[in-house]
Amino acid sequence: MRPILLSGHERALTQVKYNADGDLIFSTAKDQQICVWYAHNGERLGTYHGHQGAIWTVDVEPTSTLIASGSADNTIKLWDLKSGKCLKTWEFPTAVKRVEFNEDGTKLLGVTEKRMGHLGTIVVLDIKVDVDAEQSDEKAMTIVCDESKATVAGWSYLSKYIIAGHEDGSVSQYDAKTGDQLVNYNIHELGQPITDLQWAPDRSYFITASKDKTAKLITARDLEVLKTYTADTPMNSATITVKKDFVILGGGQAAMDVTRTSARQGKFEARFYHKIFEEEVGRVRGHFGPLNTVAADPTGKSYCSGGEDGYVRVHHFDKGYFDFMYEVERERMNRLNQEEQQRQQKEQKENKK
Amino acid sequence: MNHTNPPLPRHDWADDEDLDETVQELPPPQKITNKDGSTTVIEYRYNDAGQKVKTTRRIRLITHKEVVNPRVAERKSWSKFGMSGKDPVGPAHDTTSVGENIIFRPSTNWRKDAKNEDADPNAVAMKDKLKDKKVKCRICNGEHFTARCPYKDTMAPIGEAGAAGDVAAGLPDEKGSYVPPALRGGPGGAGAGERMGGAGGKYGERDDLATLRVTNVSEMAEENELREMFERFGRVTRVFLAKDRDTGLAKGFAFISFADREDAVKACNKMDGWGFKHLILRVEFAKKAA
Repeated sequence: MRPILLSGHERALTQVKYNADGDLIFSTAKDQQICVWYAHNGERLGTYHGHQGAIWTVDVEPTSTLIASGSADNTIKLWDLKSGKCLKTWEFPTAVKRVEFNEDGTKLLGVTEKRMGHLGTIVVLDIKVDVDAEQSDEKAMTIVCDESKATVAGWSYLSKYIIAGHEDGSVSQYDAKTGDQLVNYNIHELGQPITDLQWAPDRSYFITASKDKTAKLITARDLEVLKTYTADTPMNSATITVKKDFVILGGGQAAMDVTRTSARQGKFEARFYHKIFEEEVGRVRGHFGPLNTVAADPTGKSYCSGGEDGYVRVHHFDKGYFDFMYEVERERMNRLNQEEQQRQQKEQKENKK
Repeated sequence: MNHTNPPLPRHDWADDEDLDETVQELPPPQKITNKDGSTTVIEYRYNDAGQKVKTTRRIRLITHKEVVNPRVAERKSWSKFGMSGKDPVGPAHDTTSVGENIIFRPSTNWRKDAKNEDADPNAVAMKDKLKDKKVKCRICNGEHFTARCPYKDTMAPIGEAGAAGDVAAGLPDEKGSYVPPALRGGPGGAGAGERMGGAGGKYGERDDLATLRVTNVSEMAEENELREMFERFGRVTRVFLAKDRDTGLAKGFAFISFADREDAVKACNKMDGWGFKHLILRVEFAKKAA
């Protein structure tokens, strides 16, 4: 596969995101614009201007009408996806590290940083999915994280829970209606921050990446750890692929230590693990710095990664990727095919009778 | 005459005659429709060296129908905005480029595959270079120069003891002419060179009489495993297992020093041919006195 290199940013990437149809890629970096790209050929559709600081996060509303972004200039901005116009700005006392729309795009959560005497919070905003509508100024809800600040957060299935990953390695579950903390488990190694949280397509389980060199697959309902993927370097991002049962992990040595090591030792590779067998099945190299963010195409055709080196690399999978199967998977598929054939033959016989 | 035809900008009067010739010689492009539905296009042009080049292309048009998401199709026709607002249709060169091809085949034993690939660029080139030359390290008998030996700080060269004496004895016979270090040993210590510190240096006093050289050691071996195995025969003063600097895997040989030479003899007899981690060990005395 030939990766497409997107060089629209001058500084380290902070997040990449596909829209729901998988045809657009949004990228944010520590410079001050958001870029949107066509996934199929890497053409840049446009840029969104208005933030005054590093942009930490971006999310696309499910119908691809709006996008939201959170920045170090202490604002969340809502943008018209098509025209690049800023529709609304919400101000906060501290930087916004993560935004995410819920499943129907009517709610937006934002994770704010703990700084200057302000505790880290998760705020919820009501969104009207309409470019022309007046968005409300009021925050629908604020959850204060008094123990350890939240670094990432997301909406579970049916917007039932808000799941947050914390700086101390714990994961907590909040009731999305009342904002009460339901449970908090120490899932990753104590004191190692959780760096990413991405959902499976149905939002019933999610994957977390952590600086403790692991990624974990966790259920949303009772925060049960289903799988653990162990790497040999701190992880910055993890994502779940569709069509094939893989997870992709991105990370590498911390950016501040990078100049001391060669590219090979730095482990700047995207790692593919089998989702069920927890076994590493391959790596894709190419970045010159650690991978800050990875995202999988919701249609399963591609994935992209954003690195500290300022590049986004979009990889469209080729046949070898789709053909790969474990022996047990292959046997199962053959068995199912045989059963299907037998059933068809039976039906044909019965029809003749 | 050139003033009369200004519409041809490249028509320089100095090249006038040449151009006339070339223009006349170029046959018109041909288009042939084949029976199987493909088209053959034949074109002629001149390359940079002025030679005539005929290009024959066979083109088969295949209509490939794909059902696309209408929302995606609609988005493809959107006009660009922001910093890309003035870009023409299609990927812009300054923001989008294509990287080099990456072969990505998921595989359960990808680690092994990757290692083979890694070995290619440097190691293979080096090996090709040295294919005909026989380089032998005087320290570990490996296929590299002694100066490059990773164990030169820890191990004494093989045959060092005999060499030092010969250097002193051999030099006057050569009538003061320069003798390359490799030849200084004379017939007795062929291949042994002069070494910093000489025989009386840091390693000269080591009792090599009781040191065993163990070869055909498994990659997975650990020093303490070897120590355990050899401690059965007597007190082991030193275990040295050669390891690869990058991978940390054992290189396949080790040195074991015993406090007592008798124990070493016993161990040598018993352990030679011993099966260890699927491999049969070969144990011999370190060849210092040879």
